[in-house]
Amino acid sequence: MSTLEIKNLHKEYVDAYTGETVTAVGDVSFSVDRGEFVSILGPSGCGKTTVLNVVAGFDKLTSGSVEVGGKPVTAPSPERGVVFQSFALFPWKTVLGNVAFGLRMRGVPRREREPVARQYLELVGLEGFERKFPHELSGGMQQRLGVARVLANEPEVMLMDEPFASVDAQTRRKLQEDLTDIFQAKRPTVFFVTHDVDEAVFLSDRVVVLSSRPSTVAEIVTVPLERPRNWRSVLENPDFRHTVTHLTDLLAGGRAHGEEQAERLSGRVDSSSEPPVRADAGGES
Amino acid sequence: MALTSPAGRRGGKLSRRLSAALWFLLPFVLLAAVWVVIVEVTEVEMRIFPQITDVAGAFGELWSSGELFTHVGASLRRVVLGVIAAILTGIPFGILLGSSRWVAAFFAPLLRFSVALAGIAWIPLATLWLGYGERAVIFIVWNAMFFALAYNTMLGVQRIPTQLLRAARSMGTPRARMFTEVLLPGALPNIVTGLRVGLGYGWRGLVAAEIIAASAGVGYSIFLAQKFFRTDVIIAFMIVIGVLWLITDRAVLAPLERRTVERWGMKAVTA
Ligand SMILES: Nc1ncnc2c1ncn2[C@@H]1O[C@H](COP(=O)(O)OP(=O)(O)OP(=O)(O)O)[C@@H](O)[C@H]1O
Ligand SMILES: [Mg+2]
Repeated sequence: MSTLEIKNLHKEYVDAYTGETVTAVGDVSFSVDRGEFVSILGPSGCGKTTVLNVVAGFDKLTSGSVEVGGKPVTAPSPERGVVFQSFALFPWKTVLGNVAFGLRMRGVPRREREPVARQYLELVGLEGFERKFPHELSGGMQQRLGVARVLANEPEVMLMDEPFASVDAQTRRKLQEDLTDIFQAKRPTVFFVTHDVDEAVFLSDRVVVLSSRPSTVAEIVTVPLERPRNWRSVLENPDFRHTVTHLTDLLAGGRAHGEEQAERLSGRVDSSSEPPVRADAGGES
Repeated sequence: MALTSPAGRRGGKLSRRLSAALWFLLPFVLLAAVWVVIVEVTEVEMRIFPQITDVAGAFGELWSSGELFTHVGASLRRVVLGVIAAILTGIPFGILLGSSRWVAAFFAPLLRFSVALAGIAWIPLATLWLGYGERAVIFIVWNAMFFALAYNTMLGVQRIPTQLLRAARSMGTPRARMFTEVLLPGALPNIVTGLRVGLGYGWRGLVAAEIIAASAGVGYSIFLAQKFFRTDVIIAFMIVIGVLWLITDRAVLAPLERRTVERWGMKAVTA
């Protein structure tokens, strides 16, 4: 049985000012198995964050169903830990206090929670920083803390919304490698939102590609890469490059472009200069 | 650091402290010098404005007769009680306002309306309700401080990033514990500002209320001295009030700020 099961998720917002209804998520269904790493990829504004917020319990869905461990999601819960792009660490808590926070909220006594917290700090390479405050850490270290803080609760699924988008490119590579190592070691179930194709392929077992709004699942791509992974070998792997190219094509220009290309490959359309209108019309026939 | 002076950048900790203290005192020394010169040059009557030595003399008299301590003690007691009441009511009320958009929408206009009226304007009603004396003065201190503190606390809660609240909720924080675990520490930078502003209002409210409703205290003493044209006593007590305020700020608020907001890297702009 899958850990996370999303069926026909549909989400509408009512714009507070104009009163118009905005469809953030059209019709999305997919599932994440226990110990699986699944990314969701799609053009900006297609509703990736919305899907994650519904799974986290921060937002209510309009229709459809979201179940984690067989139970429908109604509110935030430590079973669904979230790693935020903005880190969202508690500035008034030390590094140790941040990691132990969830355990403390659930009434785990200090004597039991400290060793657990230390163990997860060690897992993310933050041992020795227990007494520091978050603002004394670099951006990369802050997000390691964000990951440790979630994993310490041993959630059913870890939700990550573009967690590495606000660190520099070099640090991002390092964090991605460390995340695959952690995944390798602990096998958490991960649902990861990104718009970085390389990142999605490098990290994931499967990638869910959303179309632009109103979003539907365009394709679910299985990543044919062995674990453990590191950037050096993955970048030289032809399977990596194939998958990246395929996903990039899926994303480029959304649906119309993808179909145009499919037609071009099947030799039905002259590839020289097809106006988009004709390509669309062709796609509908 | 609140007090970085050009001279404070080199040397050891002790000499840095010393020079910081000197820089702090310098404007006051200059003010005193200007005072001496002006009174000397204009030969203004003492009942209009006293010379600094007269004030020092008055201060010595008040000290040795023990009057100073009676009045300062009476005032401090009222301030402490009023401030404790304001902290115990204003901060929780502000957190409540900040954590619900509807409650805030309902109370915010009332709160802003009340800030202008806070303190002094309530003295007539306070004396009608509570009589002339202790209770009316403490009520005024509380009232003067309450609105500024509640309003700033509300702002502080409202500026806590949504993601922080979500992070806490998704780690299983029960709703009731959100207040102490997230809203209170998260709003602390603004709460400190509210305490600063509110304490200022509180002291002013105290002086005004004591003029009308008390038979001891610094405000009462100033008022009494005016009847006897004792400008030296008036100025002496005005200086005492200013010094008490500075001590509150530097001995209570600044360390509180250093140990929390600054330590956590949350320091906002403060006056
Ligand atoms: N609270 C809200 N109220 C109204 N509309 C919203 C709200 N949140 C999101 N939307 C709308 O829903 C759509 C999907 O937003 P969402 O943030 O989920 O996209 P996204 O795929 O995460 O985009 P990005 O890649 O830029 O992060 C957008 O058009 C957005 O304007
Ligand atoms: Mg997003």
